[in-house]
Amino acid sequence: MNPYNYQKAATLADAVAARGQPGTFLLAGGTDLIAQMKSGHRAPVNVVDVKSIPELASVQATGDGGLEIGAAVCASKLAQNDTIRQQHAGLHDSVQLIGSLQIQNRASIGGNVCNAAPSADAVPALIVDAAQARIAGPKGERTIALEDLFAGPGRTTLSEGELLVSIVLPKPDERSASAYLRFTPRREMDIAVVGAAARISVDGNNNITGARVSLASVAPTPIRAPAAEAALVGAPASGATFAAAAIAAQTDATPISDIRGSAEYRRELIAVLVRRALEQCAVRLNLEISQ
Amino acid sequence: MSSSQKVVVTCRVNGEDHTVLADPRDTLLELLRDRLEMTGTKEGCGNGNCGSCTVLADGVAVCACLVLAGETDGLEITTVEGLTANGTRHPVQQALIEHGGTQCGFCTPGIIMSAVALLNEKSKPTDAEIRHAIAGNICRCTGYEKIVRAISSAAETSATARAEV
Amino acid sequence: MNDPGQIDWSQKNSVVGKPLPRVDAGERVEGTAKYPADMALPGMLHAKTLRSPHAHAKIKSIDTMKAAALAGVKAIVTSGDFHDVPVGATIPMGEAGYDMWMVSVINIARDKVFWVGQPVAVVAATDPHIAEAALALIDVEYEALPAVMSIDAAMAPGAPAIHKHVITTGLEPPAQVPSNVCSRSVIERGNADDAISSAAASAAIDTTIDTGHQGYIEPQAMLAQVDSNGFAMVWAATQGQHTTELMISRMLDRPQSRIKVVPVEIGGGFGGKISIHGEAACVLLSEMTGRPVKMVMSREEVFQGGSGPPAAARHRIEVAAEADGTLTAIKGLYRQDCGGLPGLPPSLMMQASAALYQAPNLHLEGYDVVTNKPRTEAYRGPGGIQAYFAMEQAMDSLCQKLDMDPVEFRKKNAAVTGSTMPIGTPFPSIGLTTILDAVSKHDCWTSPLGEGAFPRGRGFGLGYWRGTSMTSACHISISGDGRPMVTMGSADISGTRTTMAQVAAEQFELSIDDVLVTMGDTKSVGYSDGAAGSRLARTMAAAIVEASDKALAELRTRAGRLLQTEPQTLTYERGVFRAPGAAQGGASISLAEIMQATLTDGAILETGVSTKLPLGVEVAAHVADVEVDTDTGQVTVLRYTAFQDVGRALNPTAVEGQIEGSVVQGLGWALTESFDYGDDGRLRNASMLDFRMPTALDVPPVEAVIIETPVPDVPYGLRGVGEVPIVPVGGCVANAVARAIGARVPQMPMTPERVLKAVKGR
Ligand SMILES: Cc1cc2nc3c(=O)[nH]c(=O)nc-3n(C[C@H](O)[C@H](O)[C@H](O)COP(=O)(O)OP(=O)(O)OC[C@H]3O[C@@H](n4cnc5c(N)ncnc54)[C@H](O)[C@@H]3O)c2cc1C
Ligand code: FES
Ligand code: FES
Repeated sequence: MNPYNYQKAATLADAVAARGQPGTFLLAGGTDLIAQMKSGHRAPVNVVDVKSIPELASVQATGDGGLEIGAAVCASKLAQNDTIRQQHAGLHDSVQLIGSLQIQNRASIGGNVCNAAPSADAVPALIVDAAQARIAGPKGERTIALEDLFAGPGRTTLSEGELLVSIVLPKPDERSASAYLRFTPRREMDIAVVGAAARISVDGNNNITGARVSLASVAPTPIRAPAAEAALVGAPASGATFAAAAIAAQTDATPISDIRGSAEYRRELIAVLVRRALEQCAVRLNLEISQ
Repeated sequence: MSSSQKVVVTCRVNGEDHTVLADPRDTLLELLRDRLEMTGTKEGCGNGNCGSCTVLADGVAVCACLVLAGETDGLEITTVEGLTANGTRHPVQQALIEHGGTQCGFCTPGIIMSAVALLNEKSKPTDAEIRHAIAGNICRCTGYEKIVRAISSAAETSATARAEV
Repeated sequence: MNDPGQIDWSQKNSVVGKPLPRVDAGERVEGTAKYPADMALPGMLHAKTLRSPHAHAKIKSIDTMKAAALAGVKAIVTSGDFHDVPVGATIPMGEAGYDMWMVSVINIARDKVFWVGQPVAVVAATDPHIAEAALALIDVEYEALPAVMSIDAAMAPGAPAIHKHVITTGLEPPAQVPSNVCSRSVIERGNADDAISSAAASAAIDTTIDTGHQGYIEPQAMLAQVDSNGFAMVWAATQGQHTTELMISRMLDRPQSRIKVVPVEIGGGFGGKISIHGEAACVLLSEMTGRPVKMVMSREEVFQGGSGPPAAARHRIEVAAEADGTLTAIKGLYRQDCGGLPGLPPSLMMQASAALYQAPNLHLEGYDVVTNKPRTEAYRGPGGIQAYFAMEQAMDSLCQKLDMDPVEFRKKNAAVTGSTMPIGTPFPSIGLTTILDAVSKHDCWTSPLGEGAFPRGRGFGLGYWRGTSMTSACHISISGDGRPMVTMGSADISGTRTTMAQVAAEQFELSIDDVLVTMGDTKSVGYSDGAAGSRLARTMAAAIVEASDKALAELRTRAGRLLQTEPQTLTYERGVFRAPGAAQGGASISLAEIMQATLTDGAILETGVSTKLPLGVEVAAHVADVEVDTDTGQVTVLRYTAFQDVGRALNPTAVEGQIEGSVVQGLGWALTESFDYGDDGRLRNASMLDFRMPTALDVPPVEAVIIETPVPDVPYGLRGVGEVPIVPVGGCVANAVARAIGARVPQMPMTPERVLKAVKGR
């Protein structure tokens, strides 16, 4: 590890100003950054701790019934949040899968997003919830769809001096549910070989009126699965529909072979996990699923 | 910053305030072990992967190897050394002794801190909850069952002690 | 001395056999137990090691000038600073001697590097961060050579020979040219090929086992201080203080009398902390600087070539039987990857793999090969789990073909005391049939498997380990208050201080709190071999029995003198000697009173030395229930029961602890633990996140069933305990998986991806 300067940013303005300096890295929970500093993968000159900035440290209801999650809020706080448990069950699933409890007590949602690992567990769950990223920078604030934040493994589309302030989740439809599942050889303390999130909304006849599917660890960034979504929308919520969407999802992905699994194995897992995630949504909607 | 320059760090460990001269690269783990000479907290991996460095920060379990020295200002840290009050061991410590839950002992302080964090939250955890609570702590000697039994019995001891008060 | 054969050891059970807590548990739970990394001395320097980035390369030059100039750096050593240990040098350690050249090369590379992570230089600085920074300033010029990364590549015709001096032994006619095959070993009886071709049923399996790791949670750490007279003190977490002293002495060409090794707490060893891994460098650096030097490895160093993992292997086993299940032949081809330096010939592992079966025809053929991976070191019954992964699957396939119950099949073919072992000698005391009877009656074998969401299977597997005896020494002195103080010449890696306190307490008829057992340093107690080979509790118990008898005899003499009675007429019970008629108010004297009265008459200081104790072979039988997710290939172990004959359980809690821990280690290797080397020789998963050792959520509670068939002529009838419980695990789980999915997974670990492949291919 190289020596570095450490400072705590008290306000958003401080953080934006500091972020402009060359060699500056923001620190939230540090569970990615500190490990990367130890391995020499990152060598910051300045480390700016954003955990105490009020906008980044709170979870709040928005005016239109949605939820705004501060970027620096840690996974275990999110796991305890009632709105997340009830309305964003997929996100609730995902934040409890990050590392161990020790890691969840530090790991922030913003860090999970901004570290931009293709395997980040919370990201697919956020994407299916139509999350927006609220970004602050020297030129002011902007808001983009979360899936547009990723540029490649470890890279975001944040420009020089920008930081993630919060993630805004719109209020989900009335009859709608989400789920996130991942596959790892160990039950916990492992990185997703494949992760799959799904959200479906259904009408009174249990026909699917809206669907989002997102995948982790199957492409250079977390991705939406448009073919899977197309297979769902307008179809009845049934085993056959879920199976068709699961197969379609395989065509949405471009997995590679690495130490965690071969491309071929990942493709198999995509279908399994998408199907199981959809089944979990159905369970959460109390739907009787026919084949 | 030159490689030998030191920084002043303040922290509160086991109820005592400390001001120490640290290397700017120190983590909380190095602060505890090398600067404060509190070596009860162990380093098995330095990367958040083994749990042997688990301490409580404001009451929740964290890996001391993934907290920077500078971040400790304002945190209330509890280490294994802070659990034995006036010669009386914490029920988790005593139960590990009695159930054979410590062998080489290297994972033990970390396991204890995870267990204490659990029991502070849940007074009567199930075996599944106990296993979940220590899933971030790798033990290579015991196979875990004797640790689970110990934590479970410590929960009962604590419950009895509370009932008697 | 008493003849142990005359003593009824089963009568000695007031302290021995009790599930007492560890005597050293208090300091462990309070965080005050001191491991080497916890130690600090005034003026202490911190050492860090520069390691090879190449799997195979010539070292052309090393320039340490820039690093030496960094503020805070105090000294740097490279191979030129060490004594040049010649190829072939051995030290008298273990049964066959220990390769000292190997020890020297794993501590510092000379001329060539043979794996990624091999030490090239060691820096001592005032702060660990500075030592770390200095490593980047050392310039090493390498000439990269082609790397050989697998058994198949190493054995391929025309493969580049890694060592010029390695010429295959055991070939007829003798080999002439350098090869990556170090040795060929053959064990032959009858004609296996003929027996197989004429058998009613036969089965074969071709297995591949990846490199694993012992996975001790404490990375290697050590501290050395050389005083101004050149006397070196070394504090080490080692499996053997005396063997560590011996290795340091040979590496530095320094007399053993000038070195003192102090064993401190060890955070797990499992075979991986027998060799030294930096102690000699710390001694040199301390001598050069006049300051204490501490080295603490990082986890990445431990995994990336800084320690010795257990061997990868390719084993093919073929077995055959008559229609009634009588085993007729075992044919085995064993190939073991010993890493970057020649290892031990595989014959011991080969014998072990076939030992539990009586087969009239045997052909076991084994090779150990060098590759450009870290030099392998021991791990709980070295080679055992790999070999039994193949053997027990072959036997299970044969049972399936014969449509025979796996336990009944083993009963029919089980080795018994006196039956012929693979090497041709009669089996010493062995309790295999007792174990098999216990399994067939146990609920884990008789209860129905139950239904789950996915297919389930129940597997059975055996394991054998011979263990060893070698030398153990202790001293017992009687303190002024009459309490016996035991100093062991060996290190405690598994609770030995507790079990030995039980033995000493039993011998003196005292409570465990009245005896103190410590690990002695190498200058306070005589030579003992290390804690390895499941030997320590057995042999140290024998040494303690001897020393206790001598101490009690001297106490008796003194008691006689003080009571003015013939010593032989005194009775001894629970710390008190009584003259005849004491019950009627006659004279008696306690150990404390004896010592108070005779303290200045001369110390009571007795020794016990055990050498060549009869072996106490270890046998285990395991039963596993698994459920296999046939969509993902994930295996869930639902239930696991481990039967083991321990001769006599000195402390059932400790025995269970050894078995439970061992089984979970085995489950890790069986299902998820694998070192994944890239073609460039770099380990791609050198972290505890990606080298997946089981967490508490990955394993069921393991039930240990202890069986006691005492070994004759051994105090308390003790067998080895610590190694065999890992041996059956791979084969047992593989058999359960095979019975669940109807297909065999021939690779270990049986990762989800490999299992799914078997599911799809069935
Ligand atoms: C043992 C272990 C297990 C893990 N397991 C998992 C797992 O199962 N699943 C998973 O998804 N991840 C896992 N991780 C990775 C990590 O814990 C998560 O990605 C975590 O959410 C990161 O959050 P953090 O607050 O710790 O990030 P930090 O390390 O603080 O930051 C991560 C990156 O984001 C940047 N950053 C942080 N906040 C902002 C911001 N507001 N604006 C812009 N940039 C910012 C930082 O500069 C840094 O580059 C694991 C890590 C460890 C050590
Ligand atoms: S040392 Fe911190 S988790 Fe391993
Ligand atoms: S007791 Fe040794 S690692 Fe847990």
